[in-house]
Amino acid sequence: MIYRILLFISWVYIIFGMIGIFRFSNIYSRLLTSSKIDTVAAMTILIALIFKCGFSVFSIRLILILIFIIITSPISSHVIARSAYLNGISIKKEVGK
Amino acid sequence: MKTYMFLVITIILLIVTIFISLIRMIIGPTVWERLLALNLISAKTILILAIYGVYKENVLLLDVAFSYGIIGFLTITLLSRLILKGGRQK
Repeated sequence: MIYRILLFISWVYIIFGMIGIFRFSNIYSRLLTSSKIDTVAAMTILIALIFKCGFSVFSIRLILILIFIIITSPISSHVIARSAYLNGISIKKEVGK
Repeated sequence: MKTYMFLVITIILLIVTIFISLIRMIIGPTVWERLLALNLISAKTILILAIYGVYKENVLLLDVAFSYGIIGFLTITLLSRLILKGGRQK
């Protein structure tokens, strides 16, 4: 029962992630939304699956995937932002839009 | 086979998200939006694999999802390094 509620919450995160990609103006704010919301959606779904599977072989692997995503997803967003910054995309907010 | 409606709906939503980030990849003016879309797609693929593995009660799919995560992470870091420094030098 719990995993249904968690899955429902993750739908909300996924929808916000989709909106976030198109609504924001420059690359950095898009990176911000995608890395944050995407990681949270992944964590919510994986925790919901762990609740669903209880104590079994599935949960061990799901916990491993959960830890892996928590570590790597922000790092990959950071790497993208770093390469964007070093190649000269300015961070300052454009006037107007 | 008990049908888990919630899992199926989540998979469908994730597939829609992948198509939308594909559109983002096509539109994206700069290279980094494309990298961002690639990052999103690989993260979503891990989720779809994990959910499908749980849905079908097949443990091997979860290992596939984990290894796909490693490959996706390496892709992003090496691609951004390629963009930063360019290939071809020792």
